[in-house]
Amino acid sequence: MRVIADLHMHSRFSRATSEKMNIEEIARFAKIKGLTLVGTGDFSHPKWLKDITQDLAEVENTGLYKPASDPESPIRFMITNEVSTIFTHEGSSKKIHHVILSPNLEIAAQINDRLEKYGNLSIDGRPTLNITAPQLVEEVMQVSPENEVFPAHAWTPWFSIFGAFSGFDHVEDCYQDMTQYIHALETGLSSDPPMNWRLSALDKYTLVSNSDSHSSWPWRLGREANVFELEKLTYTEILDAIRQKDSRRFKFTIETDPAYGKYHWTGHRDCHVSMSPQEAIKFGNICPVCRRRLTKGVEQRVEELADRPSGFRPANAIGYMHLLPLSEIIQTVLGAASPSVQSVWGVYNRLIAEFGDEYSVLIDAPLDKMAKIVDARVAEAIIRVRKGEVRITPGYDGVYGQLVLFENTQPQKQEKQLARQQKNLTDFM
Amino acid sequence: MITSISILVDEATYDITPDGMKLRAMDPSRVAMVDFEWPKTVFDEYACDAPTKMCLNITELLKLLKRAGKDEAVELSLDEKTGRLQVTISGKYTRTFNMPTLEAAEEEVPTPKLAFNAKIKATTQGLREAIEDAALVSDHVRIEVDPEKLVLHATGDLMGANIELKKGSDALLDLEVKETVKATFSLSYLNEIIKTAAATSDIATLEFSTDMPIKLDFQQPKEGKLTFYLAPRIEVE
Repeated sequence: MRVIADLHMHSRFSRATSEKMNIEEIARFAKIKGLTLVGTGDFSHPKWLKDITQDLAEVENTGLYKPASDPESPIRFMITNEVSTIFTHEGSSKKIHHVILSPNLEIAAQINDRLEKYGNLSIDGRPTLNITAPQLVEEVMQVSPENEVFPAHAWTPWFSIFGAFSGFDHVEDCYQDMTQYIHALETGLSSDPPMNWRLSALDKYTLVSNSDSHSSWPWRLGREANVFELEKLTYTEILDAIRQKDSRRFKFTIETDPAYGKYHWTGHRDCHVSMSPQEAIKFGNICPVCRRRLTKGVEQRVEELADRPSGFRPANAIGYMHLLPLSEIIQTVLGAASPSVQSVWGVYNRLIAEFGDEYSVLIDAPLDKMAKIVDARVAEAIIRVRKGEVRITPGYDGVYGQLVLFENTQPQKQEKQLARQQKNLTDFM
Repeated sequence: MITSISILVDEATYDITPDGMKLRAMDPSRVAMVDFEWPKTVFDEYACDAPTKMCLNITELLKLLKRAGKDEAVELSLDEKTGRLQVTISGKYTRTFNMPTLEAAEEEVPTPKLAFNAKIKATTQGLREAIEDAALVSDHVRIEVDPEKLVLHATGDLMGANIELKKGSDALLDLEVKETVKATFSLSYLNEIIKTAAATSDIATLEFSTDMPIKLDFQQPKEGKLTFYLAPRIEVE
């Protein structure tokens, strides 16, 4: 059976997260998206743990859960969490986020008993803990060897293992003697597998992709996901496929174009400055508008750590597919201000009604069938995204990338690209 | 003078010769350059036996120099053996600081290769006020020059400004224009350059061509030189 899993998202108890992030809403939109398995997120938050204990029912002998109010729901939940660790390493402050997978609620509660020594778990669904990364892994793995920890959104400038501001250059430097328990890395929206393949040191890790969604809208939930082919959907099967980096079971990841991510290029959001790594280096990583240090993008950070040229594919790599949220494709074609407007939902719902779920539309739906029920330009745009025939104006410093479907159209939210207009004296020497 | 240099660079290498000292450096983003020279005649006393280079943390040097009062004398002396610079300030009492020198940059920074179609001579006070007006509304300014006037256009998200300096006015002393030129520059740089350089000079000469870097030369006493180059922003419709 095919399983599409998004294992990293947040509940309504995390900061800057939709109030609607409850089990019922997540299950409803996960089904529309085409997901099979989702992470609960936030299991360390006492109120959310209470909610999920009430609202989820264990599916016997699977280590997974289903909505208690809808026993027929095809959606399964895995008990997951993200925590932020703050610690000092060799004199510099490190702020690293990690995802934790757990086989059941009882074990999750035991993890919480240990983590509450390091921070207040009730303040935020993603708690901040005064604990080193290896200490975190040790605590979690001592509770159960069936738990799993992996670094979250591994390349974002802040709060990630390779982050330009407070990260490391090597996995081993971060996790020390607990590195043996690290099997996977979450690539995050701003990087994709080909970017990670440029570091030979990462070959032994399984690259996973999740949405880190803070809302249940289908342009957020499942925008990145993991596609498995399993005989039986269980926690153990998923965990084993990840730990073994088993391409027979772990088929591919669904990725947004990395340029779509909020931290792909280097720049300054407030100064409307966006630069490729080459441009940023030319400007000495200094913003030509405010003259402060630029927020280094993921592409530049990968470039710094890479020991292989772009285009290299390791022998044991898991595949990937670039997709973009259907709502945003429709929004771009219609020229709508937001993916949440009625005109976008109208087209979206017609496609879902015909093809079952969003991934089926994005991956499988034939052009002629789509063109019969929606604007032909929308159908063509979906095919173009599927074939990778679109361009993304890269995201930078917290600004999402913008989709350019047809070269003769402009992105809807045209940003002033002032930095690209700012010349450099070396251009005149 | 050191303040003018410090707005662009934290560290810089001085070329010191028996004839005087000079410094040329670009800011870290390479958008602006300072080109500075002080012949030995500028100093009350100057002694240098052989050419040498001296790299200093300009920010730290500035902190020491700011301790000197108006009527106090400052003596800078480099001990090449220890690699330390001694800064002595004498007045009501004498205090002697010392600071380390840094590894000097060997490569020469070239100046941009430019041909200018407009040359403007203006008072630094007039320029400073005009730039401050523009900075009220925007972070960049378009400078246009025709045979009769210099105009600064600034457009911000909410407000705009149009500042005109006519030939023959108190602020605009001279204008030589081969053709009408216009170029846009960052006010963050321009404002700081003109503000700090105005403290050392009453008259500035600006030279530029359409969409090319601007050269700002601030007239110095006794053959000294303080020149800045600033790269333009290219407007895209």
